[in-house]
Amino acid sequence: MNATIARLSFQALFGRRRGLVLMVVPALLIGLAVLIRALTEQGVGYELVDNVGFTLALPIVALLASSAVLGPEIDDGSIVYLLAKPVPRHAVATSKYVVAWLATLAFGAVPLLVAGLVIDSSDPRRALAWLVAGVVAGTTYSALFLGLAALTRHAVVVGLLFVLLWEGLLGGLLRGIRWLDLGAWGIEVGASVSSLVPPPGTGLTYALIASAVVALGSVWFAGDRLRSFTLRGDE
Amino acid sequence: MSTLVLDAVSRWYGNVVAVNGISMTVGPGVTGLLGPNGAGKTTLIALMAGFLSPSAGTVTLDGRQIWRSTEVHRTIGLVPEREISFGYLTGRQFVLANAELHGLADPGAATERALGVVEMTEPAGRRIDTYSKGMRQRVKLASALVHDPGVLLLDEPFNGVDPRQRLHLMGLLQRMGAEGRTVLFSSHILEEVEQVARQIEVVVSGRHAASGDFGAIRRLMTDRPVQYVVVSDDDRRLAAALIAEPSVVGVTVRGVTVRGVTVSGGTVSGRGGLDLAVSDLGSFAVRLPRLARDAGVRIIELTPTDESLESVFAYLVST
Amino acid sequence: MAERGAAERSGVIHDLGYRPYTGPRCGEGAIARALFVNGFLNAFGIGRSGRSKVLPFLLLALNLLPAVIVVGAMVLVGLQTLPVSYAQYASTTQVLLGIFVASQAPVLFSRDLRHGTITLYLARPLRAAHYALARWAALLAATLVFLLLPILMLYVGALLGELDASTQTEDAAKAVLLVVLLALTLTGVAALIASVSVRRGFAVVSTIAVLLLGNGIVTAVQGIATDQERPRIGEIAGLFSPYSLYRGAGATLSGLDSLTPPTGAGMEAAYFVTFVVLAGLCLGLLLLRYRKVAGR
Repeated sequence: MNATIARLSFQALFGRRRGLVLMVVPALLIGLAVLIRALTEQGVGYELVDNVGFTLALPIVALLASSAVLGPEIDDGSIVYLLAKPVPRHAVATSKYVVAWLATLAFGAVPLLVAGLVIDSSDPRRALAWLVAGVVAGTTYSALFLGLAALTRHAVVVGLLFVLLWEGLLGGLLRGIRWLDLGAWGIEVGASVSSLVPPPGTGLTYALIASAVVALGSVWFAGDRLRSFTLRGDE
Repeated sequence: MSTLVLDAVSRWYGNVVAVNGISMTVGPGVTGLLGPNGAGKTTLIALMAGFLSPSAGTVTLDGRQIWRSTEVHRTIGLVPEREISFGYLTGRQFVLANAELHGLADPGAATERALGVVEMTEPAGRRIDTYSKGMRQRVKLASALVHDPGVLLLDEPFNGVDPRQRLHLMGLLQRMGAEGRTVLFSSHILEEVEQVARQIEVVVSGRHAASGDFGAIRRLMTDRPVQYVVVSDDDRRLAAALIAEPSVVGVTVRGVTVRGVTVSGGTVSGRGGLDLAVSDLGSFAVRLPRLARDAGVRIIELTPTDESLESVFAYLVST
Repeated sequence: MAERGAAERSGVIHDLGYRPYTGPRCGEGAIARALFVNGFLNAFGIGRSGRSKVLPFLLLALNLLPAVIVVGAMVLVGLQTLPVSYAQYASTTQVLLGIFVASQAPVLFSRDLRHGTITLYLARPLRAAHYALARWAALLAATLVFLLLPILMLYVGALLGELDASTQTEDAAKAVLLVVLLALTLTGVAALIASVSVRRGFAVVSTIAVLLLGNGIVTAVQGIATDQERPRIGEIAGLFSPYSLYRGAGATLSGLDSLTPPTGAGMEAAYFVTFVVLAGLCLGLLLLRYRKVAGR
C-alpha cells in the first residue's frame, strides 16, 4: 500500500470528468428517493433501492471507479512512470484498489443506506442490510473490474456484459447462476442482517468466502499483470 | 560507475524478431543509439529498463539481472517516448510524486533540484496539460533525474522539441555524461546523435550493425573508398597527377555540363573541382601535398564528403 | 566559371511522368455516401481487426437466438400466435441492444475525435454537419439491422407456420414503426455521448448508465405509481427514457405490456411526439458539437 500512488489514483479519479458522473449516479438515486418519499408515504417504493441502486447503480459506480484508476494509464502507457520505481507491483495494484474500493463504497454502497432510510426510516435494519450487501458486493465488483482493467483494454465492455448479461439477464432466468453471481453473494450477506432482504440461497459462508476469494484473487492478478507490463514502442 | 551489458540478447514476438542477437556494453558517458524507425531501439531500451524480458540472452546492470528486479529502478532513470497523461497534475506535483515513489529522504529538495537542472522551476506550478511539448519533455527528464540515477535511458528525447530547447537538452546530456553517468539516448536523426554522442551503437532491423566512434567506424569500412572534393587552380593537371597515384581509385571532374544537364554539383568556393575516391586514406593524406607541389598546382579546398554520420548510416542501411 | 556556379546552384525539377488527377471528381454526396457505408460496416467490425468483430456479432447472435428458438418452437409445436409479439421482442432484448449501441457508437464517433483524424476528414470538401450526419445515419442503420432482423425472422417464421398473413403483416408493420422510433432515439443519445466524451470506456459506461439507469428509474417510479394508484405520474415518468417511451407507444399501438400505458389521446400523442423530439434534439446537439469541433 503506497500513499503516493493512492494519492495519484485519487487525483486521477476526481481530476477527470469521470469523477462527476461518479457523483451524479448516487445523487440521482437519493434525489429520487427523496422525491418518492415526499409524494407518498413511508415504505413505498423500496424496490428502488434493490432494482436501481444495488443491481444497476452499484456495479456502474464500481466499473467507473476501477476503470478510471487503472485503465487510461495502461492504455497510453504512462503507467510506466509508476512502475519504473522500486515499488513492489502488488503495492501499486493494492493502492489503486483501495482508492477504487473507497469510491465504490462512498458512491455506491452508502447511497443504498441513505436511500433506504429516506424511503423507510422506520426500519433502519433493512437499510443497514442493504448497506452491508452493497459493501460486500462493491468490494468484489471493484476488485474484479480492477483485474479486468489490468487485463484488457476492453475491460469496461466486458465488465458491463458480465453485470448486465450474466448477472442481470441470465441470473434472472437461471437459478444456478447465483453461485457465480457477485451481486447474489452480497444480497446473501445482507439477508443475514435483515429478514426483509430475500436471500438467493447460497448460504452465508459460501457467499463470504466466494467474495473474499474473488476480491483477493483479482487484486493479486492485477498486481501480477503489472509485473509483466511491457513498454511498447512504435513497432 | 554503472555499466549495462547486453549479452546475445534476442527478443521475438511470435514470428517477428524485434531484436536479433545483440551484444553491447554501454559504459559511462553519452552513447547514442541510432537506427531507423522500427529497428528495435525502443525494444532495446525497454529491455535495458527492465520492462521487457529477453527471449534469449541476458541484460545485466553491473552484473545484476534487470528483468523483474524492482530494486534496479533505483539506479536507472527512464525517459520513455510516451507522453505523460497525468495532465491534471502540475509539473512540480508530478516530479514530487516520482521522488516520493523512489523513497527519497527529502523529496521536496530533490524535486527542486531536478526542476532546476532542467530549468523548469518557474512553470512547475502550472498543470501539465498546459505545457508545450518541450516543457513536457523536460518534466519527464526531471522526473527521471530526481533520484540521481547512475544510468539514464532516453527514448527519442528530441522528438518534436524546438531547436532552442533541443540545444539545451543536448548540453544537459553532455553534462550528465561528463559527470560520469551512463547516458543512452535513441534517435533516428543523425545530426542529433552526431552532436551529442561520439560513441554510437547502430541498430538496423534488430541487428547490431556497428558500434564505437563513428569516425572510426567509417575508417573500418575499407571496402568502400572515401570520398573527397578537391578544388585547385588547375584541376585537369592535378587530375592527371592523381590518377597515377595507387591510393586514388577514381577521379571525376566536377561542374561539367553534358547535354544541358550538370554532372555534379558545386563546391563551397563555387568552382568546379574534382571528385576523388580514395582507398587508402593514410597514404593519400601524405602524398597529396607533395603531388600538388610537384605538379605546380595550388590546392584551394579539400573537403571530405562522407565523413558524416549520414554517409555511415547510408552505407549501413542501404544493404 | 561564375555562371556555371550560379547555374549549378539552381534547382531543376525532373519530369518523372507524374500527372495530377484531372478527371471528374465525385461530389460531396459521394463522400457522405462512402462515409455512411464505411461507418455501417465498421459498426459490425467489418473492415477492422478480427477482434472488433467479436462483440457486435456476438450481441447480434444473442439477439437473434430467441427469435430462432421461437420460430422453431412455433413450427414444431404448431402455435397459433407468436409467443413473443414483434414489438415485445425489442423490449425483452433491450439490454443487448443497449450494449450494442453503447459499444459501437464510440467506434464511429469517439475514435476520430480522440486521435485527431477528424481533421483529415474535415480537410476534404465535406462539411462537419454532413460528416456527423453520415456517421449518425450509419449508426442508425446498424441499430435498425439489429432491431429489424428478429422481426423479419419472426415474420417469416409466422408465415411459414401458416398464421394469418394479414394480421401478421399489420402487427409487423406497427412493430417496425415503433422500432424505427426507438432506433432514432437510441442512436441520438449514444452518438451524442460518444462525441462528447472521447475516451471509449467512459463513453460506453455513460451511455449504458443513461439508458439502463434511466430505464430502471422510470420503471421503479411507474411501479410505485401503480401501487399508489396514481398512474398518471407513471405515464409522465415514462416520457423520460427511450425504452419506456417505446413501451408506452407500443402499448398504444400494439398492446404491448407496460406498467402505466398512456391513457387518453393527448398522452398517447405526447409519447410519439417526445420520441421524435428527443431524436431530433440529440441530432441537433450532435451537429452543434461537430460544428464546434470543426470551428477549432
